[in-house]
Amino acid sequence: MKNIKLIAGIAWAAAGLLIIIMLFPGLGMMSRKLATLPFMKINPNFSGGEVGRQLVSPVCTLDIRRPVFDGLFSERRKGFVQFDWRGKLPGEIEDSIDYDFDSIPDFYVLIDTKESTTYLKALNPAVKDINVSAATSYGWALRVNLIRDPSTIPPGEL
Amino acid sequence: MNDRTSALKPNKSAGKSLLCTLPMLLLTFMFMSGGRPDFSNTAQFLALIITFAGVNVLFFLMHFTGKTDRYRAVLFIVFAISLSFTLISNMLETRSSMSFNQSDVLECRIPFCHLVIPMMIIPAAFTESIIFPGSIIGGFADIASMIILWLTATIVLGRGFCSWGCFYGGWDDGFSRVRKRSIVKKISDSWKWMPFAVLFMVAVTAALTLVPTYCDWICPFKAVTEFEQVTGVESAVKAGVFISLFAGLVVVLPLTTKKRTQCSFLCPLGAINSLSNKITPFTVKIDKKNCTECLKCVKSCPLFALTPANIKEGQVSIFCSKCGKCIDICPNNAIHYGIKGVPAGTRKNFSGNLYLFVSFLFLAVFSSGSIINTLQKLLDFII
Repeated sequence: MKNIKLIAGIAWAAAGLLIIIMLFPGLGMMSRKLATLPFMKINPNFSGGEVGRQLVSPVCTLDIRRPVFDGLFSERRKGFVQFDWRGKLPGEIEDSIDYDFDSIPDFYVLIDTKESTTYLKALNPAVKDINVSAATSYGWALRVNLIRDPSTIPPGEL
Repeated sequence: MNDRTSALKPNKSAGKSLLCTLPMLLLTFMFMSGGRPDFSNTAQFLALIITFAGVNVLFFLMHFTGKTDRYRAVLFIVFAISLSFTLISNMLETRSSMSFNQSDVLECRIPFCHLVIPMMIIPAAFTESIIFPGSIIGGFADIASMIILWLTATIVLGRGFCSWGCFYGGWDDGFSRVRKRSIVKKISDSWKWMPFAVLFMVAVTAALTLVPTYCDWICPFKAVTEFEQVTGVESAVKAGVFISLFAGLVVVLPLTTKKRTQCSFLCPLGAINSLSNKITPFTVKIDKKNCTECLKCVKSCPLFALTPANIKEGQVSIFCSKCGKCIDICPNNAIHYGIKGVPAGTRKNFSGNLYLFVSFLFLAVFSSGSIINTLQKLLDFII
């Protein structure tokens, strides 16, 4: 038994040596393999979620992402929806946006890209307030806080 | 092979040590230069040569003198400083600030570090996603590469990762070596269980909020890497916490206790790495036949991994990071690197040489990128 343990220990240690020697030349390949696993994607709470619709204008495009309410086990009561303006932005972005694609504007937004100020007026009770409004490398990003089902929440909590 | 009387220290045979350094020379050259050094950029080439020569001199000295911890610490501390230098200079070049802003978070451009791993496991299992605004693959410190590096090192080295791979550990290791004697002599070693409490707390809070809470609120190393731009009360409180914890756990306590207090009392990844000591092939062994129970090793252990009870049992605890300090200090040569399954006191040279080669190779290659980068920037400045 002692000899088996001894041989197994030395074999495992030798394997350790080989693993470390193989690690650096194989790092790129192993990372690419790992990146293909199903859980290797950024959570929508950080990535902003999938793009639901893209509106194209002559100077810029607007990506309207799907609302994000992702929780650990189920959807949360509070979430956000992200909008990305890409391209050459005007000094002011003024838009009435329909994020749930029901052909009714959900909020009105006025962004002064030079002064970095944002004004938002909710037109839908599910729209709460601004989460983030910031310049990005591709243009401008806006995250608007949402309430999933406003009818279930007491008025004081809204 | 059964060299009970001889030990790894001191070798005093320069030829033998040089022979053992040859494979390290070859592998570090291959991995650092990619087999094809770039001669076109003088500063980069010089930085590569200095780093290559430096790590191999350290390995030679480690082998020749038998002083593991002394030379490991040099590279480990240089790694920590150079990584912070690389990160900060990168941030200053690209963002003109040490802090990241909202657009960096929105565009998932935050460098990933291994300390996020304890918080991402539960959300990854339930939501099939990573709760961190970084890059999955490609770019600086991407998530996939960092996971592979940490996982591999942890399987092979166990908690040895904390002394041979963690690019933050060098900070409190460095500060714990500044003073010759400790000011605070008595410190309860039951605090060493604290990282398990921190691990539980951050794993649960991160799972419930889907936010890496340790990075967001606690990580002391934000003070020497990058942190959220202070734009309001919340971000100001966070910055205050980061700086206070860095000052307290990474500077003041290591200076006064000569212990690695951040690693011992706070780090949640250290808790996971402690558990991985159970699967690694390497360990530190106590040869009870040579041990006189002088307890010098207990006093010197920077991570509270040795207690008088451990010495009596002849076994180090799961908290051991295999730094080699106890091996260096033991006057009777009773402590040595070992391989599981191999009895204590036997095959000391074989086990020690194998462990040192594996762990030093990992540290040398892992640290080389940031050391070369730092040297290159300094040389660019001088030349």
